[in-house]
Amino acid sequence: MATKFCVNLTHSTDNTDRATVGFVLANAAVGSGKETLVFLSIEGVRLAQRGVAEGIHEEGFAPLRELMDSFAKGGGTIYVCSPCFKKRKLDEHSLVAGATIVGGAKLVEFLSDGSPCVTF
Amino acid sequence: MIGDTTWDAGDLGCGELVLQLRFRIEQLEPGALLRLVAVDPGARADLPAWCRLTGHALVAADHPVYLIRRKEP
Repeated sequence: MATKFCVNLTHSTDNTDRATVGFVLANAAVGSGKETLVFLSIEGVRLAQRGVAEGIHEEGFAPLRELMDSFAKGGGTIYVCSPCFKKRKLDEHSLVAGATIVGGAKLVEFLSDGSPCVTF
Repeated sequence: MIGDTTWDAGDLGCGELVLQLRFRIEQLEPGALLRLVAVDPGARADLPAWCRLTGHALVAADHPVYLIRRKEP
């Protein structure tokens, strides 16, 4: 059984339902003992900016900020797609705790031993 | 069912339920029992799966009440 799990999250304020469920699933993985990565890409990179998640609270779910905090507390890792981040002219000095801007090689490395990856 | 510790998870489900469950069971001594009340309909399938994934023992399940024993290190 794979010991890792990856969630490729491609949405944020443009689709708060997908953004929320992506982190809920990531929390299921980290809660189940998996070494878990959330890869923020496309519009998902906005969640790496401090303050963005605070405005997202889908009915029936915990606020996204709480979900992200629980994910970090559980030892989850957040990678942020570098070209997606740069394209949107976001601020690399205003990252949420635990987020790291990376290129594709870091994602490929994480997945290279057969880790499953789901995309939201 | 009687456990050493009880946690009423209310209607928490999916990732929110199992991550908080992980945090709570890690507070227990190995071999200790947790009596969990989880009314979310997904808990019926998720909690046995979570126990298989993590190695903790599902001692009893009578939805919404679950008795889980923390695994030995």
